[in-house]
Amino acid sequence: MSAHDDTLARCRRGDRGVDGVVTGGNNRSVEKLKAFLATPAGSFLLRYVVILVVGFGVLAAKPVNDHVVEPYTTFVAHEARIVLNVFGEGATVVGQTLRSPRFAVVIYNGCNGLEAMLIFVCGVLAFPSPWRRKLLGIALGFLAIQVVNILRVVSLFYVGVLKPEWFSTAHVFVWQSVIILFGVLLWLLWVQRYAMARHA
Amino acid sequence: MRWRGTPDLHRFLRRLPLALLAAVVLWALAKPAYGHVLATVTQALARATENPRAAVVRVDGNYAMIGRTDFRAGSGWLKTSLIQIHYNLIPFLALVLALPGPFGGRGWRRLALALAVMVLAHVLGLLWQLKCFYAFDMGPWSEANYSAVARNVYGTLRYFWDLPVTFTLPLLLWLGFFADRAMPLVGLDGTTTPRRT
Repeated sequence: MSAHDDTLARCRRGDRGVDGVVTGGNNRSVEKLKAFLATPAGSFLLRYVVILVVGFGVLAAKPVNDHVVEPYTTFVAHEARIVLNVFGEGATVVGQTLRSPRFAVVIYNGCNGLEAMLIFVCGVLAFPSPWRRKLLGIALGFLAIQVVNILRVVSLFYVGVLKPEWFSTAHVFVWQSVIILFGVLLWLLWVQRYAMARHA
Repeated sequence: MRWRGTPDLHRFLRRLPLALLAAVVLWALAKPAYGHVLATVTQALARATENPRAAVVRVDGNYAMIGRTDFRAGSGWLKTSLIQIHYNLIPFLALVLALPGPFGGRGWRRLALALAVMVLAHVLGLLWQLKCFYAFDMGPWSEANYSAVARNVYGTLRYFWDLPVTFTLPLLLWLGFFADRAMPLVGLDGTTTPRRT
């Protein structure tokens, strides 16, 4: 084997030279990535990322924000108001602000559950399964995330009433982590319960 | 139709609460030092892209204080939550630690790579906060130094980092870097080479 052939073979293998420089390492990484994307898992992940980017792009558009996201956030505030009034809080909603004589919270983008819904819905849409099961999953997932999000808003309201110094901690690292994990878990359960049920 | 999850998924779900607890502990232990690392790297990155090099990012508890050395002391400071930027380490670590055998088969290397991506995302998240503060909130100075296009670009980047990137990164890194363990939970094969039996 000539020196040239030897260098080519090392490049294909992605070997390191004596100076530690990777020779052909990038090619090997690209080939590994291509091989992964050709697997069912890789193509799912690619579809998932594309749908996520499109989904968040749509949500970020001003007309969608003005005509869908903001009214939806107000709707979430009213749902929380109804629950709080069951407990006798005498809550009212102005815009996206939920107010009672004891405390007030503003429900911003990111606190309305749409992000968890998008994590879940994109996972459902990207997963290879019949459309009927996807639609059923989206409908049930929407309801489940609504329930958890109302629980989040109401619990944060009471944290604000009882322990206002804990509000920021509960809001950011407890509930946002829980909401992300809930979106993932819901998707895993949908896959097992509905998308893969045909294999059972 | 009765639900029968795979044994791997059952094990994963059983391990998740403990994994979440471990993730919170790890995050809480790393948080003070990590905040300083984020602030230092972000400040260096911001200074590398401006003239004069006056960007300042300081840590104050769980917050980053963003300002400039060429402004009067006491004016033009933004207090932004560092927890809001890096809390997504918790769900990511919880998802990884709940996997069966997360560190087998170069798992540590993959975890290090995934964490490197996450650190980069956190630095950029803080950088977009800084750039938006400079571009929007410093009155005539902002208008003199940032064009309308720059303001739109930084505003868009901040939105995407605040919500989509922060929310979805844990799941994407988990599925991407731990595909051979995470994907079987949903019945998808992520291996590119035949498995040893």
